[in-house]
Amino acid sequence: MSDDGGLWLLLLGPAGATGLYWALYRYYRNTDKSHDFEHETAVEAKPVTGSDRKVDEVRGTQETRIDGDNVRAYRKRVTRIRRNSS
Amino acid sequence: MSNSASPPPVPPYTGPGSPQDVPPPPGSFPIDPASLPPPIRDELLAPDPVAIDTSAAELKDGLNRCPKCGATDIKQKPGSDLLICLYCRNEWHAQRVEEEFGLGEGLDQLEGTVIASGARDIAADAASVMTFKCTGCGAEVTVNTENAMTARCHWCRHVFGVNEQVANGAVPDAVLPFHIKKDDAVARIRQFVDKRRMFALKAFKEQFTPENVIGVYLPYMIVDGKASADVSGHGEILTRTYTQGSGDKKKTYYDADVYQVERHVDFTVDDLPLESSSERGNLDTGTNTNNIINTILPFDTKNAVKWNASYLSGFSSEKRDSGVEQLRPRLENQLLSIARAQVEASTSRYDRGVRWEQEGLSVHGTRWVSMYLPVWLYSYHQPGSNGGMLHYIAVNGRTGETMGSVPVQQWKLLLAALTVGSVLETIALMIVGNT
Repeated sequence: MSDDGGLWLLLLGPAGATGLYWALYRYYRNTDKSHDFEHETAVEAKPVTGSDRKVDEVRGTQETRIDGDNVRAYRKRVTRIRRNSS
Repeated sequence: MSNSASPPPVPPYTGPGSPQDVPPPPGSFPIDPASLPPPIRDELLAPDPVAIDTSAAELKDGLNRCPKCGATDIKQKPGSDLLICLYCRNEWHAQRVEEEFGLGEGLDQLEGTVIASGARDIAADAASVMTFKCTGCGAEVTVNTENAMTARCHWCRHVFGVNEQVANGAVPDAVLPFHIKKDDAVARIRQFVDKRRMFALKAFKEQFTPENVIGVYLPYMIVDGKASADVSGHGEILTRTYTQGSGDKKKTYYDADVYQVERHVDFTVDDLPLESSSERGNLDTGTNTNNIINTILPFDTKNAVKWNASYLSGFSSEKRDSGVEQLRPRLENQLLSIARAQVEASTSRYDRGVRWEQEGLSVHGTRWVSMYLPVWLYSYHQPGSNGGMLHYIAVNGRTGETMGSVPVQQWKLLLAALTVGSVLETIALMIVGNT
């Protein structure tokens, strides 16, 4: 076994303890729960429209996902373009 | 100095456990229970006992007259939306607001802001205490609309209900009657806590009396809306994966094409519920457990009936203190989230994800209806700094969905975590030592 692999294994204890504490705390206190209004509200949407334009290429990155991926973090607000709302 | 007519932007919600995080799927647990020690695993996997649904709490008389005989001895038929006259046994159903006011129609034609009369702004000088003159004996009867909508004349036992929409915002447009009976709610709360006893605070376990649960009508704004949203950002599509180096130095690299992604969606939402009590609408999990009450949403608001104080006899209630304008930022926030969820499917080709950078919303029309929704609430106050923490266990008065916050005994939880961590570390050390 390599040295790196051995060091990784030594993290098992602290990681397991932290993970169990966090998971049980959430199970008791449920601080992560809220109404899932995105999926539990009756929404009727017209077909989504839009455009896709290639603008750049990334070469040789070690990241598995795009930096700042928020496609599933619906509630993380990004820069708001203000329009007139009635 | 800025002359801008638009209000300053609302500061973003932050913090761990904030309800701005998308909640995990129902029933999911972040760790595989099979890998945990047997006592913990057994507690997590214990089946839900069947909730007992037997008799209902007796409801008090209402002021409304029976349409058949004129008697005032009226109550809600337990477990149903019916009102029943105890004198002649006549049963009748109050008019559903959905049909009465056509709330389910014309969503795609909504324009401007349509506000039902019960959702009007609360008059600034409105008092919570209302006084009625008893028609039976002439005595004066007061009702504190902060927490009750009915009161009994202390001389002639006549029951008064606040039946007219008044300027203090206490009377909503509609009420959704309780379906879940008290015994059923008690059973659900008991089963919720029974699955969370091992690490629960000792004082909580000793004082746990779910029979003390109270039925509360909480104020909500039910909003229909028509909106359009635009989002734009960047997405990446993987084009090549390769490794370089060998042995310990072997590393994986990725090539990707970067796209400018723009999406537009037009949509309508039907019956989006918003807490119209500013206290209940504060979902900061660092200071309160209101997210528990928020979690038991949604309700079958299509079955709400026209306001009738008889439905509130025997139940507590909370008064609304937020109007349409106070709630509009939260509505827009939720509409943006819904739009982001709607466009997600259209980005599936971006297998390295999408980073949305800008979003915009046009609200074309909204319709606001003020409604009382039924919740069984069990509360426990945990002493501590800054006034401690009020823990709620809430049961949806219609669907029975139950959610709660059980205070934990910190040292027990720490001990369990450290024990499991130590065992894992010992195994790791053995493996490392053997190699």
